[in-house]
Amino acid sequence: MTFNQILDLLRGVMQTTGVFNFDPKVMVMWAIAAFFIYLAIAKNYEPLLLLPIGFGIFIVNFPLVPMMGYEHGRPQLLQFFYHYGLEWEIIPCVIFLGLGAMTDFGPLIANPKTLLIGAGAQLGVFVTFTGTVLAGFTLKEAASVGIIGGADGPTTVYLTTLLAPQLLGANALAAYSYMAMVPIIQPPIMRLMTTKKERLIRMRQLRPVSKREKILFPMVTAGIIALLVPSVIPLMGMFMLGNLMKESGVVSRLTETAQGSLMNIVTIFLGVSVGATMYADKFLSWKPLLIFGLGLLDFAVCTAGGILTVKVMNLFLKEKINPLIGSAGVSAVPMAARVSQMEGMREDKTNFLLMHAMGPNLAGVIGSAAAAGMFIAMFK
Amino acid sequence: MKRVIVILFVLVFLVPSAVLATENFLGIPVFPGAKVTKKTKGRLEAVVSRSHEQVFDFYKQFLKGLKDVRFREWKTASYIEDDGNRPWHSITISKGGANTTVIVIMKDNWTWIMGTLFLRFIGVFVVLMVLFIALSVSGGIISRIVGPEDQKKDKA
Repeated sequence: MTFNQILDLLRGVMQTTGVFNFDPKVMVMWAIAAFFIYLAIAKNYEPLLLLPIGFGIFIVNFPLVPMMGYEHGRPQLLQFFYHYGLEWEIIPCVIFLGLGAMTDFGPLIANPKTLLIGAGAQLGVFVTFTGTVLAGFTLKEAASVGIIGGADGPTTVYLTTLLAPQLLGANALAAYSYMAMVPIIQPPIMRLMTTKKERLIRMRQLRPVSKREKILFPMVTAGIIALLVPSVIPLMGMFMLGNLMKESGVVSRLTETAQGSLMNIVTIFLGVSVGATMYADKFLSWKPLLIFGLGLLDFAVCTAGGILTVKVMNLFLKEKINPLIGSAGVSAVPMAARVSQMEGMREDKTNFLLMHAMGPNLAGVIGSAAAAGMFIAMFK
Repeated sequence: MKRVIVILFVLVFLVPSAVLATENFLGIPVFPGAKVTKKTKGRLEAVVSRSHEQVFDFYKQFLKGLKDVRFREWKTASYIEDDGNRPWHSITISKGGANTTVIVIMKDNWTWIMGTLFLRFIGVFVVLMVLFIALSVSGGIISRIVGPEDQKKDKA
């Protein structure tokens, strides 16, 4: 074997490593991945999602890694999760099944007028849509960015996968990051939009809700949503199935699986495959930056929309509602409701708003799903 | 067979000639031989002595391969809509005119975007309002009829 042959052999081996196919752009993606992993571990911001998303970003941004491509027509590992989990719209629906199995709709059933707050808090979704179109996005992309303000991760992922899959990574990251930052984003807006007198409003204790009402709720809701916004029934249907399983009390094994193991499994696949969509070539552009900016605006307007809705409702109600619970209409369960509670207690330590805020909080989940359904109907 | 002949006719004669020679409105060719009846900056209306099928195939062929273009079939017209960032928003091709077809090309406009957004925002309210009414009614009935029984059971 000659020296040149040995060199060729070595060169051939070297070419199969990532070192010789290195693109410096990926280092920016490593930094982004490290930032989100840091937020998850050090700051405990939505760690269940941000950690696998961060690792997904990290691992696909190496040259030649067989993770998100196809080999002989067969999807590679993360492509497999992405294709069957997200493109087939399975994971967000299964997560909604688990969420339904974890949710107690009692506060919403006891005070159903808080449903309107959940609708008002979708204001930002539609305002941001307009801003996003102005910024040069297509209508479908604008709809997928707008839904970030609904503060509902699975709904954002579901709608984005349907309308603008190329924005999935940025949208999901923006949604989950801002959901984690609800305690930072919302309080200044809440204080700005309410007077001290309003913040001190005490609300009557919620009535007890019977088991039969709780069993009837998922059936009624699923029926109404199926009639009015059928396009979103894969999400809402699963949500209500999970809730029916929980409230019926006869399938506790299924309920435990849905809210535990099953939810955890799909959360891993969701996080890592969303992160894996963020290649340097696709991600490093002005669009993700704009999405993060517009997403913040979206959250702020949704918060304001919920508070404004309470103020309008108070004009007509004898028993006033504390407008601090309006901000909980953005979904982000239960974080947004806790923020209402904390802000209420800042003014009066004996004023407990948590259970009152859970009503609009849960209404926000239904409201953001309804808004997503409106967009799906608009474009499909 | 009839459809194949129409498509062949459109492919061979109309599309190339349209692209080369006919009037354009916002980047969309007006169907060859169509008489423009109304034209403003944002809207063009034309009438042509062709069947709906011929006109529709002409535009379908012209728009083939374009992303974000959606074809919808209504009872009285075919509606082609652009969800991208093109200067035109829609092409409406009337149906049932017995060899006379009306074509309307609309400019992409904010009125449509704002109008549909407003309606959809109201739509979210309507959905939750219906749910509110349903919950209030069902809650009222249940708490009156079976509520006391449940409360007794809960206490027991």
